[in-house]
Amino acid sequence: MQKTYTFHVDGMHCQSCVLMTESELKKVLGISYVKASLNHLNVEVTGDFGDKEPKHIARDLSEILKPHGYTVSVEKNWPARRSFSEGGSDFKIAIPIALAFVVLFIVLQKVGLVNLVNTGGVSYGTAFAIGIIASLSTCMAVVGGLLLSMSATFAREGDKVKPQLLFHVGRVVSFFVLGGVIGAIGSAFTLNVGATFALSLVIGLVMLILGINLLDTFHWAKRLQPSMPRFFSRHALGISKFNHTLTPLFVGIATFFLPCGFTQSMQLYTLTTGNFLEGGLVMLVFALGTLPVLALISFSSFSVQNRSKAGVFFKTAGLIVIMFALFNLINSLVVIGLIPPIFNF
Amino acid sequence: MKLTVISILVGVVLIGGAILFTRGNINTNVGVDNVSVVNGKQIIGIRAKGGYQPRKSVAQAGLPTVLRFDTNGTFDCSSSVRIPSLGISKILPQSGETDIDLGLLQVGTLQGMCGMGMYRFELEFKS
Repeated sequence: MQKTYTFHVDGMHCQSCVLMTESELKKVLGISYVKASLNHLNVEVTGDFGDKEPKHIARDLSEILKPHGYTVSVEKNWPARRSFSEGGSDFKIAIPIALAFVVLFIVLQKVGLVNLVNTGGVSYGTAFAIGIIASLSTCMAVVGGLLLSMSATFAREGDKVKPQLLFHVGRVVSFFVLGGVIGAIGSAFTLNVGATFALSLVIGLVMLILGINLLDTFHWAKRLQPSMPRFFSRHALGISKFNHTLTPLFVGIATFFLPCGFTQSMQLYTLTTGNFLEGGLVMLVFALGTLPVLALISFSSFSVQNRSKAGVFFKTAGLIVIMFALFNLINSLVVIGLIPPIFNF
Repeated sequence: MKLTVISILVGVVLIGGAILFTRGNINTNVGVDNVSVVNGKQIIGIRAKGGYQPRKSVAQAGLPTVLRFDTNGTFDCSSSVRIPSLGISKILPQSGETDIDLGLLQVGTLQGMCGMGMYRFELEFKS
């Protein structure tokens, strides 16, 4: 006999989770119709379950979805339980960590790392050193913040290694190629003020939304999450493959154009080299200099093994990303001249 | 909802703290002898490296004015100069002197900053 039940699903946080839930449950014998909803955090199933109690069915379905991190229940025990008890204690740890991180960031800016560079000329050694300093400077607020928001978001969807690797490959390769092109054609492609502003604004807003999502507290923000329309992702082999491969690659390449003083002045130096190989190598070495710190940021999500610590990690990452996003948004408004300067390092 | 309010409050406190911590008083760093007049042209000299020195310059209004940036191994954000109200956006070379012609200026204060907005300088023009 066909019956329809609606169960609550704990752990769904994105469009691909909806697709995953639906495609897994469709395989279950006896189920003829599945419809999961991200907005209501539930799933509607129609099928022949014999004379099992709803509780029993929920338990069976939970077994199937457990490997993917979702739990099915009859009673709605989410978000109320998680946000207030478990989620609350996560914040108690996450807030001090995020705070310490931001203080460290400000102190790094205040100690004047930039004054360590004393040479007028640029050798590959200095390009590498400048890369390291750049990765600890305010460029971290842009590139590091973007990377953290992206890698934490992917990690939460269970994809830890590949997006990170693609980001770094995209970044390093594009720095070599674009640096080479600048050296060869002898003109830098820095964006003008308007385009830089538009880019910073978009990135700031994307980071803000991703950061709020990582906190897992504001459920309305999920609807704002930039995701592939369901129609596309359904056709891209069920789970949104596009998001996980091309997005990090493109973001890595885009970092070449992000407003970062160090990147811009390295590009200006690359101009003077006058040939492809030398220009490319200077930018490559610079990108490699930024790699250790950036790799540390992106692979920090590797440490997330069990679920109890994962909550703390994602909330910490969310708080840091939100603060960097606001920092970037405020600064881009300052640079365009809409508001007077606020930060003063 | 309680948590929502708490997290917003924490966010506000953190941002506010960062602003207070980094704001500093721009008036404690006023250039004394960085403004000179040569052949009727006013030159304001500013050193750009890890920020701008001096942060505040006082010059005379109504004189043709040139802003001269001195860089020496400058790779940070201060190499990208912005003065939004005049539509100036310039990337300075790593080392050397770069002149930016400001033309004739009226009494008032100009705000300048680096391309990312966290280093700033102020030019005050008096009659």
